[in-house]
Amino acid sequence: MNARNLKILVVDDEPLARARLKSLLADLDAGEVVAEAGDGHGAILAAQESGAQVVLLDIRMPGMDGLEAARHLGNLHTPPAIIFTTAYDAHALAAFEANAVDYLLKPIRRERLRTALDKTRGLNPVQLRELEILKDPGSVRSHVSATLQGNLKLLPVADICYFRAEHKYVTARHSRGELVLDEPLAALEEEFSGQFMRVHRNALAAQAHIRGLVKAVGGGHWLVFEGIEDRLEVSRRLLAQVRRVLR
Amino acid sequence: MTQHSPQQTRADLFLPDFCGIQMVFATLVVGELLALILTLDPASQQHGGWQDLALISLFIQWVALSSIGCLCLLRRVLERIGNIPAAVVSYTVILLITLVVSEIAYWLFLPQTQLGGIQLNWLFEPGAGGLGDPRAVAPNLPYHGEFVLRTLAIGAIVGALTLRYFYIRHQWLVRMESETQARIQALQSRIRPHFLFNSMNTIASLTRSAPALAEQVTEDLADLFRVSLGDARVATQLGQELHLCRQYLRIEGHRLGNRLHSGFQVEGVPENARLPGLTLQPLLENAIYHGIEPAAGGGEVRIEGHFEAQRIVLCVSNSLPAERHAGRRDGNQMALDNVRQRLDVFFAGQASLQASEADDRYRVCMEFPYWTGTDAVP
Repeated sequence: MNARNLKILVVDDEPLARARLKSLLADLDAGEVVAEAGDGHGAILAAQESGAQVVLLDIRMPGMDGLEAARHLGNLHTPPAIIFTTAYDAHALAAFEANAVDYLLKPIRRERLRTALDKTRGLNPVQLRELEILKDPGSVRSHVSATLQGNLKLLPVADICYFRAEHKYVTARHSRGELVLDEPLAALEEEFSGQFMRVHRNALAAQAHIRGLVKAVGGGHWLVFEGIEDRLEVSRRLLAQVRRVLR
Repeated sequence: MTQHSPQQTRADLFLPDFCGIQMVFATLVVGELLALILTLDPASQQHGGWQDLALISLFIQWVALSSIGCLCLLRRVLERIGNIPAAVVSYTVILLITLVVSEIAYWLFLPQTQLGGIQLNWLFEPGAGGLGDPRAVAPNLPYHGEFVLRTLAIGAIVGALTLRYFYIRHQWLVRMESETQARIQALQSRIRPHFLFNSMNTIASLTRSAPALAEQVTEDLADLFRVSLGDARVATQLGQELHLCRQYLRIEGHRLGNRLHSGFQVEGVPENARLPGLTLQPLLENAIYHGIEPAAGGGEVRIEGHFEAQRIVLCVSNSLPAERHAGRRDGNQMALDNVRQRLDVFFAGQASLQASEADDRYRVCMEFPYWTGTDAVP
C-alpha cells in the first residue's frame, strides 16, 4: 500500500484521543483521514461510506466496542486493515500478541504509528473470531452481520426471533425480514446460549420472543413468536426441555 | 466466593492436620525430645541411660502416635464442632489414650520386671506393696494407681502445652493472613491503570492544542497518584478526599468531554472528619467506569453528603447506561468490598457501606461516625 494515498478512519470515543491521532497522522503525512467515529456502530457506517482502507480502532467504547466492530468490518466486501488502539487492556493485548494483530498503545508514539501503517494488513475472519473468544469468556456480540448486495448489514441480536440452518447457511429471522449469515449454528448456539435455546436439530429460538407452544392438527409441536407469522417446529426429542424452559 | 474457602477452613479449626506425614514426623521428634528430658533427670536414673531412654521413648511414642492417629480420624468431627469443643474433645482424647496406654504398659511390663528387672522406676518413689499386687512379685514396681496418676499428669501437662502451642500458632497464622489481605487490598484500592494511560493520552493531546490545560491535568494527576501511591491505611480528612474527587472529575471531564456531568452536594458535612484515604474516589471511579464510560449518550455522577447526630453519610450515585444489558462490566464488587473492609477496620465496625439501584440510578452510600482524631477509632 502506498502510504501517501491511504484512506484512514479514526475511531475513538474520546474527542481528545481522536484529535491527537489526527495530528500525528498529519505529522506523518501518512494519508488522509476520511472519517471519524465515536463508537463501533459509527465505525461500521463510516467505513462503508468512506471506503477507508485502514481503521484505527479503539477497543473500549460505549455501545458496540472495537472488538465487535472489527468482527463486523471483517464481513465487508473489501475489509479494511484494522489497527487496534488501547490505553490498557491486558486481556486483549495477550490475544493480539498470540494472533499477530496490530495494536498501538496510547499515548501512541509517532514512530510506532508509522511502522503500523507501513505494514498494514487485513485481519482474516479466523483471527477475528479468535479475538472475540479471547476477549471475555462471558461476553456476546450485540449484533450479527452479513453482507447484502455489497453492503454490510447489522442486525441487533435482541431483534432476532430464531436462527434456522439450511444447507450451508444460517438464516436469522427477525420481525422485519431475515438475514443470511455465514456462521455455523453450533457457534451461534454457544455464543448466545443465554438468549437462545435449541428447539430442533437445525434451529435456535430466542426465549424472549416466544409467545407459546401449539400442537398441530397433524401432530407435532410448533413455537409461535411475537411479531412474526411463521412458526418453528420443535423436535420430539427436545420437546420436554422446551416445555420446561417455557414454564 | 470460592477464593476464600481455603483460608476459611484453616481459620475454622486451630488444630493442624494430623494426618499429614510432616505432622507424624514432628510428633516423633518432639516425643523423642521429651523422652530425652525425662531420661536426663538425674534423680530418676535407674538402669543406665539407654535402657531408660528406650522404655520411656516407647511409652511416649505409643501415647503420642495413638493420639495423633485418633485426632486424624476425628478431624471431620472436630472441624464441625468449633474451636472450644474441639479443644475439649482433643484434650480428652489425649488423656484417655494416656490412661489406656498406661494400663496396658503396667500389666505388660509386669513379666519383664520379673525376668529382667526392667522398671519404670524413673517415675516413682519406691513404696510398700500388699499381697496380690504385682509389687508382691516385683517389689520395685510402683503402685498401680500411682503409676497411672503420674503418667496421666505428664500427659495432661504436655497435652495442654501442645494444644496451647497450636492455638497460638493458629492465632498468628490468622493475623498474618489478615495483614497480607490488608496489604493486597491497599494495592487493589489504587487507581486503575486504564485511567492512568488514558490520562497520559489526554495530556499528550492537550500539550499541542491547549498547553495550559495540559499543565493542569498533569498537576491533578500528580496529586492523585501521590495519594494513591502513599500508604492507603493512613487516615485523611474528608475535605482532602473531596478535593481529590474534584481533581479526579476534572481529569475525566477532559477525557469524556460533554458525556460527563457531575454534581456535588456536600454542604454542612464537616471537612475535618477523618476517614481512611481513597475511600470516596474509588467509588467515584466506579461510578464513571460503570455509569458513564459505557453510555454513548453520557450520564451524571453525583456526590451527596449529610451530617446528622454525629454521623456522616456520603453517597456516590450514577445514572445507569441504556446499554447496560449488553456486555456488563464486572469488577464492581471488589472495589466495594475493599472500601467496606477498610472502613470497617478504621471505624472499628461502626461504619457501613451499602449499594442500591433505584430510579435508574446506581447508588453507593457509606455511613460512619464523625471522628477528628488521627488514629483509627478505638
